[in-house]
Amino acid sequence: MLRKRLIFTLLYDNGQFMLSRNFRLQRVGDILWLEKNYNFSKIAFAIDELIVLDVSRGEKDFEAFCESLKRLTEGCFVPIAAGGGIRSVRQARELLRSGADKTVVNTPLFQDADLVSALASEFGQQCVVASVDVQMASGGDYRCFHSNGGQGLEGSALQNLSVVERLPFGELYLNSMNRDGTGQGYDISTLGLLSAGFSRPVILAGGAGNARHLAEGLADSRVDAVATAHLFNFVGDGLQSARKQLLDEGVNLASWAEVENASA
Amino acid sequence: MSKNQEPPVFWCSNCLNMSTRPRITFDDRGWCNACQWMEKKTTLDWGARQEELKEILDKYRSRTGGFDCIVPVSGGKDGSYVSYQLKHEHGMHPLAVTVTPALALDLGNKNLRNYIDSGYNHIQINPDARVMQILNRQGFIEKGFPYYGWLIAIQAGVVRLAVNLNIPLLFYGEDGEVEYGGSTESQNRAMYDINYMKRIYLEGGHEKVLRSSGLSDSELYFFLFPSEAELAGRQLHITHWSYFESWDPYRNYLVAKEHCGLQEAEANNTGTFTNFSQNDQALYALHTYMMYLKFGFGRATQDAGIEIRRGAMKRDQAINLVRLYDGHYPEEFIETYLDYYQMTPGEFDAVLDKWVNRDLFAKSGGRWAPLFSAR
Amino acid sequence: MGVSETLVIDYGMGNIWSVVSALRFLGATPEVCSDPGRVMRARRLVLPGVGSFRRAMESLQSSGMDEAIRHAVLKEGSALLGICLGMQLLGSVGTEDGETKGLGLIDKRVDPFTSAELSGRKIPHIGFNQVVPAPGSRLFQGFPEEPDFYFVHSYRMPADIPGARVSRCNHGVDFAAAVERENVFGVQFHPEKSQTNGLALLKNFLAV
Repeated sequence: MLRKRLIFTLLYDNGQFMLSRNFRLQRVGDILWLEKNYNFSKIAFAIDELIVLDVSRGEKDFEAFCESLKRLTEGCFVPIAAGGGIRSVRQARELLRSGADKTVVNTPLFQDADLVSALASEFGQQCVVASVDVQMASGGDYRCFHSNGGQGLEGSALQNLSVVERLPFGELYLNSMNRDGTGQGYDISTLGLLSAGFSRPVILAGGAGNARHLAEGLADSRVDAVATAHLFNFVGDGLQSARKQLLDEGVNLASWAEVENASA
Repeated sequence: MSKNQEPPVFWCSNCLNMSTRPRITFDDRGWCNACQWMEKKTTLDWGARQEELKEILDKYRSRTGGFDCIVPVSGGKDGSYVSYQLKHEHGMHPLAVTVTPALALDLGNKNLRNYIDSGYNHIQINPDARVMQILNRQGFIEKGFPYYGWLIAIQAGVVRLAVNLNIPLLFYGEDGEVEYGGSTESQNRAMYDINYMKRIYLEGGHEKVLRSSGLSDSELYFFLFPSEAELAGRQLHITHWSYFESWDPYRNYLVAKEHCGLQEAEANNTGTFTNFSQNDQALYALHTYMMYLKFGFGRATQDAGIEIRRGAMKRDQAINLVRLYDGHYPEEFIETYLDYYQMTPGEFDAVLDKWVNRDLFAKSGGRWAPLFSAR
Repeated sequence: MGVSETLVIDYGMGNIWSVVSALRFLGATPEVCSDPGRVMRARRLVLPGVGSFRRAMESLQSSGMDEAIRHAVLKEGSALLGICLGMQLLGSVGTEDGETKGLGLIDKRVDPFTSAELSGRKIPHIGFNQVVPAPGSRLFQGFPEEPDFYFVHSYRMPADIPGARVSRCNHGVDFAAAVERENVFGVQFHPEKSQTNGLALLKNFLAV
């Protein structure tokens, strides 16, 4: 049986890893902090995938991001997706050479569909993760945003997503800006923004604070994977114990042998 | 060396409130009264309390355009939320009041400006800074309260202003005792009086600090509660917003950033993992550090408790955060503190040594290190 | 230069770095190689790959790598492990981007999942899925029943391959998750992305 997935998302900003709350960033620590407090080589064995996004708001230092990615992904035997500011096939290739298996795009979905197509034909659709940020307005209607949540799109999210759905990509990362970093749980109703026939894997993101929230997201039949970027709530052994709890509850996640058994 | 046993303290079995917290009680499940209150809040008849609020507001709502209520604000999330609710949801005419703290931080000043600019009438009370310094210093030494002078002024000075301007309602944010653990006497009581303020918030004995300062009544104007004679015939109802509506600091934060221009700090505040509360004054970090030395819990424990009670994390997740962040020595402010209190490092450390709980801490390398670990 | 121990074939398709990194983690000393002359004499070969079947074959052919691999496997008895697209390339024909001849080391076509097979399941087939190891499999030696491996693909090799040990996976239909015939091995999943399970499988390959 195809398993569902638990994904950890890291938000990178000029050498620092960040907590985002409703897209406002709090600096948490650098790669040393992460290695120390997440014991990274171990945490990799509690997740099914890692996503690393450069969310820095100003000028991006792409080379430094690639360097960090290399260091992060060494000894990390899970699929890794990376993105944030990809504006060319060349940049995507750089990320793939720095340890990424997939690329994540957001702004180009709305502003440069040709780039999305070029990435898909160069690396295959499975190599492109479409990341969409949606925000619910006071009236209950959703809108799509791009550029780190800085730019809202004309029209409803429903309309904008129906256009995005026609692009060549392998997976959709659907993130609620209202719930982002709040620990209030996922906004399940964002899944209703997808058309009935949408048949590619969906990663639900934004709002998870604890294992219960992860389980709630995974329980929805439209959800293939849940992601959390909450650097605080899952610090230390947080991800390991969340995964263990989910497995104990019978959630359909993969299991694998303890790390010691694998090493040579 | 003499102590190899962990001190006889325990933690709430739902959050991480410690048995050392003043006035705290636990039930037979080991839940502290803040967590019991959280449970009660889910079944409480809030409709009845909202009715009660409506009645009070209807009774006092100004028809002339004058102020009908006072809300103490700092530009932070809670005062901003309460004044937003009163003005925009209840059609009241609040006067926002800030008592300027000592060692105000740039971010706090900016947030206060943003708050005022988002559309509020506002008065800033600037008590004599020299007097505030004397009282803060004395409070630090004699009570282990680094901003005791300010703490007095945000009660006494604000009450005085309400009386002087003849404004009948005074809304503080939350009842900290009820919400975060402590006395439950005000759980089912909307209004409270000046004596409760003195006893609970100033922990008694504030008059002693004022008198021993040697300052005159005139200098102490904003630190002295109005006398019985001054209060006679005046309408003044003091209450907490948290009595009328389920208190959720995180919701307040979300509303304040959306409607009142609240900005967070770029990184976590000293001694905790959050960046969106208590950004207005440098002495807050010392205040929570003193709390840590006295009782064994700091700012991260408090923040984690809020996160647990609002359902954002579980206790085991909170333990990781408390172990990582709680009780950090406010290194970056020490020079500022010494300069403010006019103390030598030795004198400053002597105050910490005076207030530290030696059952909980032992000195190691010049710093107090805990003999316990949250569990 | 003597016989190379383990070569990872670099022909410009996909993330070879993580395969190398996993092999190193296991204590091997893999070399990345794009020289058909060296591939021909290697003791052990890994053929990774992500992307289109047609472009991959074109790339192998243009450098003569296809013949080098066939020579190594058929004449020198080198052990070969194809990963993901690398496994599909072992087949006779691929149909991605039009029909293309494969390396022909396993006599089987590679076609997309059909919608009838999928009956509502999503494509690409992404994520960890359970594999039922073939009896006597060398790659899965010492594994528990139905271990999880990470897949990401839209094309598959059918599970009925005469003369080969086929470990199966199901995504609406049974397909070949792994194939083994003498010194030819292929895995549709990514062992280098399959946590400790993948590492243990690679360790088994290094021992054949």
